[in-house]
Amino acid sequence: MIRLEHLQKIYQGDTGSLEALRGVSAHISEGEIFGVIGKSGAGKSTLIRCINMLERPTAGSVIVDGEELTTMPERQLRDVRKKIGMIFQHFNLLSSRTVYGNVAFPLELAGKSAAEIAEAVDPLLELVGLADKKHQYPAQLSGGQKQRVGIARALANRPKVLLCDEATSALDPQTTHSILTLLKDINQRFGLTIVIITHEMQVIKEICDRVAVIENGLIIEEGSVVDLFVRPQTPTTREFIRTIINHDMPDIFSDIKFSPVPVSGSSLMLRLSFIGSSANEPVIAGLVRRFNVEVNILFGNIDHLKSTPFGTLLVELSGEDAAIQLALNYLNAKELGIEVIGYVARNDRVAG
Amino acid sequence: MSPEMIALLVESLGETLYMVGVSAAISTILGVPLGVILVTTSRGHILENMPVNRILGAIANATRSTPFIILMVAIIPVTRVLAGTSIGTNAAIVPLSIAAIPFVGRVVEASLREVDFGLIEAAQAMGASPFQIISRVLIPEAMPSMVLGLTLTVISLIGYSAMAGAIGGGGLGDLAIRFGYQRFRVDVMIATVVILIALVQLVQSAGDIVSHRLNKK
Repeated sequence: MIRLEHLQKIYQGDTGSLEALRGVSAHISEGEIFGVIGKSGAGKSTLIRCINMLERPTAGSVIVDGEELTTMPERQLRDVRKKIGMIFQHFNLLSSRTVYGNVAFPLELAGKSAAEIAEAVDPLLELVGLADKKHQYPAQLSGGQKQRVGIARALANRPKVLLCDEATSALDPQTTHSILTLLKDINQRFGLTIVIITHEMQVIKEICDRVAVIENGLIIEEGSVVDLFVRPQTPTTREFIRTIINHDMPDIFSDIKFSPVPVSGSSLMLRLSFIGSSANEPVIAGLVRRFNVEVNILFGNIDHLKSTPFGTLLVELSGEDAAIQLALNYLNAKELGIEVIGYVARNDRVAG
Repeated sequence: MSPEMIALLVESLGETLYMVGVSAAISTILGVPLGVILVTTSRGHILENMPVNRILGAIANATRSTPFIILMVAIIPVTRVLAGTSIGTNAAIVPLSIAAIPFVGRVVEASLREVDFGLIEAAQAMGASPFQIISRVLIPEAMPSMVLGLTLTVISLIGYSAMAGAIGGGGLGDLAIRFGYQRFRVDVMIATVVILIALVQLVQSAGDIVSHRLNKK
């Protein structure tokens, strides 16, 4: 649906030039929710604004629904933009118009008649749950309600693509969740392709299918959200993941020395990660039943990536050295993420 | 005060209202587009055109930096061409309008600049043309602030129209100078001042009410 090829954007300022995008390529398929995550100044805002040519890229090409936009004349571009909805961090609603007037606005721009507009606006307000706020002005609405108006407005011309520019960054966590749920619902109902840029990993985790991590104007990592969470390749990605999934060792282990090789009479510390169907398997129970080991769960967390269960467990295996090795082999044979943290002498552990 | 004097006051008030009304209308009709052009042709805006912006800005500044009483005298030849005469109420409308057009232009410019650029971008993202952005985003959003600016213009015009009286423009200023000053009629002087104060209060209050009604923020 969207193909970005070697996008480059250079801003010429009085004090020199700034390269905001340094050759970004990405393919976004029809009907998927694609996330772009990055810190502020990484170039993510520039990237999304290049998709509808609010920013003209310095080089590279942008193809949306088969049409090359970078070379398109302004007049023709306006028609294409009507098929690309966009919502914003600060909503950008017209304060002089009611909720109804705001949703009607893009239809007026497209030259629709009052009757056509009335017919289109009411179902949209119903969809975003604001039918009762029809005659209110934006100033009378909460942030979440304003964003719902923004979404209804963006959908008015029945776009094929919805661009979300930090759409939840100005909202509290509950409201963010409800807006994301609405976006997910719209994506499923209309098969709408959604591109989301954000600096919040929570947003990626909740609704994205695929994600690109952007840093210094380059995509440094890209893949399915599940892959990214399970096998992050770059420190930046790990940092983002850490903001929502606690991978740190509990404090009580901070001054314990771990040995990478088995030491006689020691217990083994492991971090297990479960993904998809393996999260449903009773791995720990199997371990205890099959081998003569004790399993002590020190830390655990089960979460969902969109709808895929994803969990991590920090466990300590203790027992005979041979039994621990057998247990480890058993775990390795399973489809699990296993990270051996190390062996710790039992006495140390007690002291800790 | 004699009935003749009161009739004269009423007549003068009528002349002032006429001068101010017509010049306010002319300056709004020409000043609003000027303000729109000053904003939209500025750097990074929807119709960026720096040469046009600089030239119009310079003209607006030149007109505004000339004191009204000097402007009025300096453009007498122009007034003669446009009004057919250089004396009287109709003649006064020419310098009043010329002085007020750049004033309105700057006031409108300031109001339009207050409109969050995010709204313009949102409209662009929806495929709005520059003209649609001006007529459906910039002007409606800036309306409450523009009404206050136009109120200010009308009040300034009331002041200027009194000055126009000094060169035979008619109106309350003319009356105050001829009777109140030159014939030592203190009662006439007081009456004109009171009327002018009331007029300005009235205009300001009306402007405030309209602006408040329009403001949905």
